[in-house]
Amino acid sequence: MSYKERSIWVSLAITLYIWFNYFSELYWSSQQQSLSPERMQSALLTVVIWTIALEILHHLVIAMIDHKNANYDQDERDQKIALLGCKNGYYILSATTIIAVLHLLFPIMSQGLVLALNLPTEYIIINIIIVGALIAEITKFSTQVFYYRRGC
Amino acid sequence: MAKKITNNIRRLRFEHNEMTQQMLADVVQVSRQTIVAIEKDKYSPSLEVAFKIAAHFQLPVDAVFSYQ
Repeated sequence: MSYKERSIWVSLAITLYIWFNYFSELYWSSQQQSLSPERMQSALLTVVIWTIALEILHHLVIAMIDHKNANYDQDERDQKIALLGCKNGYYILSATTIIAVLHLLFPIMSQGLVLALNLPTEYIIINIIIVGALIAEITKFSTQVFYYRRGC
Repeated sequence: MAKKITNNIRRLRFEHNEMTQQMLADVVQVSRQTIVAIEKDKYSPSLEVAFKIAAHFQLPVDAVFSYQ
């Protein structure tokens, strides 16, 4: 497994772990009727801090374990795989944009979500965008891992 | 059946003083994993890398790579 592939696996795990915690927090807060914009902002801030901390730690640990390849530049295969991952992530982000616009234009379509979360509409849109960006990120990493394993 | 690009790199490496994948990777400036992927026909290299590999073995490109 190359340095780059290992790094992608760890980033994927970090992304899943952090965002699972975020959505768990949102879910349990909404179950207890205690979900508020302040609580959501606090959860988002936690996500940002954890992401930065864990990504720094991950790069440090991987560089220490595999110090020979720590300054490794992407070669053409890495670039091609990165491009394929970004392309699939882009499709998800585009779909997210359409869903966010549809939510704004036709709020009736996402009434269930509004009732479940009990948040002002702008916070619902923020969460739609967050979910879309998260799925895009997971898609990007998963695509890259897939092509590293299967070949391209 | 769909055609694909295959190669003789593995054999050529052994005929060149049992050159390692890492040595070839250093010569053509890619990672060892990319050489592994090329040898297993899991990745078709760019023309530039294909020419670099062929030049290293002092062979024409079609003696290293074939489309079949």
